[in-house]
Amino acid sequence: MSASATSLPGTAGETSGQPLLRIEDIRKSYGELEVLKGVSLTVAEHQVVAVIGPSGSGKSTMLRCINRLEEPNSGRIFLGRDEITARNARLNELRRNIGMVFQQFNLYPHLNARDNVALALRKVLRQSKATAYATAEKTLSRVGLAEKFTAFPAQLSGGQQQRVGIARALAMEPKVVLFDEPTSALDPELVSGVLAVIRDLKALGYTMVVVTHEMGFARDVADHVIFMDHGQIVEQGPPAQIFSAPKSERLRDFLSKGLGH
Amino acid sequence: MDNIYRYFFNLDVMRQSLPFLLNGLWLTIGIALMVIACGLTLGLGLAVVRAFQIRILNIFIIAFADIFRAIPALVILMLVYFALPSVGITFSSITSVVITLSLVLAAFSLEIFWAGITAVNPGQWEAARSTGLTFTQTLRHVVLGQAIRMVIPPLTNRTIAITKYTAIASAVSVPEILNQASTQQAQLANPTPLTLAAILYILMFLPLVFLSRYLEHHYGKGR
Amino acid sequence: MDQIISSYFNLSVLRQALPYLQNGLILTLWLSISIVPLAMIAGLVIAMLFDLRQKWLNALLVVYIDLFRAFPPLVLIIFIFFGLPFLGIRFSEFVSFVLAATLNGAAYFGEIFRAGIASIPRGQYEAAVASGLTPLQAMIHVVLPQAIRNVLAPLTGNIIELVKATSLASVVAMPELLRSARIAQGNTYNATPLIAAAVIYLILLWPAVRLASRLERRAIARR
Repeated sequence: MSASATSLPGTAGETSGQPLLRIEDIRKSYGELEVLKGVSLTVAEHQVVAVIGPSGSGKSTMLRCINRLEEPNSGRIFLGRDEITARNARLNELRRNIGMVFQQFNLYPHLNARDNVALALRKVLRQSKATAYATAEKTLSRVGLAEKFTAFPAQLSGGQQQRVGIARALAMEPKVVLFDEPTSALDPELVSGVLAVIRDLKALGYTMVVVTHEMGFARDVADHVIFMDHGQIVEQGPPAQIFSAPKSERLRDFLSKGLGH
Repeated sequence: MDNIYRYFFNLDVMRQSLPFLLNGLWLTIGIALMVIACGLTLGLGLAVVRAFQIRILNIFIIAFADIFRAIPALVILMLVYFALPSVGITFSSITSVVITLSLVLAAFSLEIFWAGITAVNPGQWEAARSTGLTFTQTLRHVVLGQAIRMVIPPLTNRTIAITKYTAIASAVSVPEILNQASTQQAQLANPTPLTLAAILYILMFLPLVFLSRYLEHHYGKGR
Repeated sequence: MDQIISSYFNLSVLRQALPYLQNGLILTLWLSISIVPLAMIAGLVIAMLFDLRQKWLNALLVVYIDLFRAFPPLVLIIFIFFGLPFLGIRFSEFVSFVLAATLNGAAYFGEIFRAGIASIPRGQYEAAVASGLTPLQAMIHVVLPQAIRNVLAPLTGNIIELVKATSLASVVAMPELLRSARIAQGNTYNATPLIAAAVIYLILLWPAVRLASRLERRAIARR
């Protein structure tokens, strides 16, 4: 897989870099319920950030605010120098720089694997069919699906479907990739394959924000771990600190329960 | 604006034509109820017969369903009213309309009921037969209930759509709403009766449309 | 038996009626290929407007759909044909009919497409816009292809109904298939032309009717 690592510069293990994604004090409410109570966060280039926390802590909502699938009520989000939350932001252009991988995969059931990946290449980047297919096939090969170009989602296992989902995000050569609990909908035996793909992406220098329940994965792969609870970032730091020396009561509580599952 | 009022919402004309239109309304409702009762009964009956898989009968049932779904109701009405008398079979215009629309509704509802029967899980048949129920008992006590529940939304929609076609009765001079309205319009040289007819139709069918929306929501959830 | 043949399957009458039937069929086809695409496009627009999620707009669209579903198409035709001229609005027969049938058909198509779009999980749209597609592109390339597949059964059914509804044009004296057959029947004092018209409708729509029942059975089984 690393043989075809052409798209991004960067060396494995590098953790520092220019700030790429900046979230400033975003808030989000549904009616009375405030799900994000002022979240700020900076992600550097080539950094892998894991977001952990109990269900309903607002981590998915925070992630979905980054490409404005959810509209934050206030606060600002920047990708490089572009403000994503600007009123006149060219959303479709910004979104192509932000890849997203969904919990439920959200593959297009009426399109085969190659067309799932090629759709945005053709319609957003205006690539010719041949170019888009070449890119799609290369990307699918990189996630280990060289045999499955013409398979439809229904013919693939959950793990394979999620790898198509990852290929679909990567093919656009995004600056940052968002993962919304990418393994939560998978059978346990399929989880490791998908996590291995994400691990490989880190080696290639991708910038990633991963909302996850896999604590082992967060500890091994992330450069930085965010713990959210009740719509706020309670604690953050390098994995060693978060998992070995949690400072807050809530994180200690969460880890003692969370690691059990 | 004045013209709209004068020609479409003329109160004098409304007052004069309302009694005629109300007579038409009762007739329309009567025809509609007859059609629904006869059409659905015949449709369900034929679907049940079809379940017995008797080859020769099935060919007739399928042919019946296809013919009466493919030919427009107005064409069938013309055949019943104008063509049957050639062989000495004569029906009154109202009877002709009831026969026509009942046959059309039977054809459509037969297909829908049959689709429901085939959609019931085969495990239901196996379970019922394994407890010693006969084919007919299984059909009657186990399968039909489930089948009918499944098809309520499409059945309601289709029943409303066909019942609306009672308006074609005006083409054979049955004095139902539309016919009364046309007559009044011609006599009073004012189209307000047509507005009135439109309002009556909406009053009559809008509740049914709402009902179908409710049923669609209520029975469509499992999808 | 002889009487049936001479009254309904009279070849010499058929030969006389043929030119009428031919012209009638051509007009029926013209009407059909005018109203089906128009109503379908209008229905699609209605369904896509729903997706803008504007409260007052949605309320308006629901009112439109429900009113026209509650309204017999024949009443609408008579209204446009005999009512509007009082306001000085005069369309040709063809345009009047196309207008009425499109208004009516669009309501049905709108409701069908709306239900289809609503049946597609939100994640499909989100995945598409997250990859940079515009909302319109997401609709056209991701949501609609799946939505249409989910509503093929009612879609086919509604196309058949619209084609059959062209027979209503006979009521406003348009010489389509039914009206032409009636004229030929009047000229020959024989019902053969009416039978012939019915057979032509049957040949025209039978394949679609078969397809519709196959699709419907599959749709109900999926519930």
